[in-house]
Amino acid sequence: MAGIWIYSEDTIIAQQIITLGRELAGKMQQPVCALTMVEQDAQTLIAAGADKVIVLKGDNAWPESYAAAVAGQAAQQQPTVLFVGATLRGKDLAAKIAATLKTGLITDAQKVQFVDGALETERMLYGGLAVCTEVLNGMNVITIPPRAYDVPPQDPSRSGEVVAVDVQTESTMAVGNVCPIVRKGADIAVAEKLVCIGRGLAKQEDMQLAQDLATAIGAEMCCTRSVAEDYHWMPVEAYVGLSGQKVKPIIYLSMGVSGQIQHVAGIRDSKLIVAIDTNENAPIFAAADYGIVGDLYQVVPLLTEAIKNKA
Amino acid sequence: MPTIIACYKWVLDEQDIKINPGTLDLDMSRAKSKISEYDRNAIEEAVLQAEKNGAEVASLTFGNSKAKQSLKDALSRGPAQAYWVNDDLADSADAFVTANVLAAALRKIGQYDVILCGEGASDTYAQQVGPRVGTLLGIPAITFVSELKMEGDKVIATRKIGNCTEEVSASFPVVVTLLPEINKPRIPGLKQVLGAAKKPVTEWSVADLGLTAEETTTKNTIKSIKGFVMSRKNVIYKEGTPADKVANLVVSLTKEGVL
Repeated sequence: MAGIWIYSEDTIIAQQIITLGRELAGKMQQPVCALTMVEQDAQTLIAAGADKVIVLKGDNAWPESYAAAVAGQAAQQQPTVLFVGATLRGKDLAAKIAATLKTGLITDAQKVQFVDGALETERMLYGGLAVCTEVLNGMNVITIPPRAYDVPPQDPSRSGEVVAVDVQTESTMAVGNVCPIVRKGADIAVAEKLVCIGRGLAKQEDMQLAQDLATAIGAEMCCTRSVAEDYHWMPVEAYVGLSGQKVKPIIYLSMGVSGQIQHVAGIRDSKLIVAIDTNENAPIFAAADYGIVGDLYQVVPLLTEAIKNKA
Repeated sequence: MPTIIACYKWVLDEQDIKINPGTLDLDMSRAKSKISEYDRNAIEEAVLQAEKNGAEVASLTFGNSKAKQSLKDALSRGPAQAYWVNDDLADSADAFVTANVLAAALRKIGQYDVILCGEGASDTYAQQVGPRVGTLLGIPAITFVSELKMEGDKVIATRKIGNCTEEVSASFPVVVTLLPEINKPRIPGLKQVLGAAKKPVTEWSVADLGLTAEETTTKNTIKSIKGFVMSRKNVIYKEGTPADKVANLVVSLTKEGVL
């Protein structure tokens, strides 16, 4: 059994995972092999650090239809581990591959290490309340969240083997009507500054308070799950949390957000967390670097003014 | 009439779990249990589809003896009957074992056209049991669905996957995993709760399902489960006028270089 395998339908994410793959390759003394459905990407993956690329050639453009094909390759060649980019498409594929191969699947691993001859992973449990460390036995599939690692620099002098394989794709599902989701404003997952609103805001019109502050610091707006799903003040794509967007801004500033575990799980990679809320015991303050306990209707306009005057 | 089976997991309510500050061990002693939130959407969608199209709805869970409490809750949400794989194995089961158990239970039930699951469980959020069950049963699994239609003997599902939506259709039988935005689960009334007690429950143990030892053995070894510590500065301004607090915050944020 050998090989560190990497697959994502998104070639940028595949390259990010190659960074992890190279780190493990030295310790595990195993080659890094990337899989792709796009032949043209093979050289990019090699220049990013793959020792080998397997190009899966099928007659279907839908990434999810390649689960059996990837599982078939893995069954033949027995890699130690298959990393899959944890996009939703990737998670679908990973679960179907793991079921076919009868292996374990670690979802959204936050840390992967090679310790005492075995892979060890960390992932969140209970909505982010706890961290579970597992020692992996035998072949496993592990999904890695997007942007967990940097894209390695391209080294055009690297060379590697490219193998093209004709594969069968799944055809029991018909796919159509693919529509991009049009976002109002920027993609909050990559925004550098964020202002987040929660249920502490009494009515929809009051969002202007938050918007004014966001404009003053040059931030995008986001919200908690209930603001999007129960109040519909913002689109579902704007909510931050375990099942929503995971953000990593330089500054995340919340107002009227209590800080439920699942919400905090989505902001924990923020560089600086600032919270404004009336409830001194709100869990958001335990997760915050700086905070003001106070009425947001008083505090936020003052803060907006102070920042404007500073600039 | 098609048969819809809604799967759910009986989980500890994470809001009740305390972390011991010294050891970081989890204290579950006061934690109550609940039907995983995402799975409430699955039960609700099964019932909504049955109301619209006519269907038999059953619920299915794999849990230990304490999951008995869940049956009334599940049935009060609308299914006509419940299946319960009652086994302590559920306490240690990973997604591999859980999917094997659910797939075996579904085979034993025999009749299923649409199997609905939440996109993940609220405790592990591993997002894999639904698609695993589809693969084990050799049927399609459509994941991350925000809108579901049943037409004749097929489902037409709108998936919402990151930056796009797409429509996926497949013929029965099919597994569909649902995003929480698909519906708002009803809160059962007194009449529904009382009615639930009269609905039939089929109970099995894992041994009744004819699985091999390999199929009921977890894949990996849990080394530790510890409370997550967010190490943050926790500088919270509580005293003084709003203007004082704002002035202090602006000084801090300026020092951090984020303004």
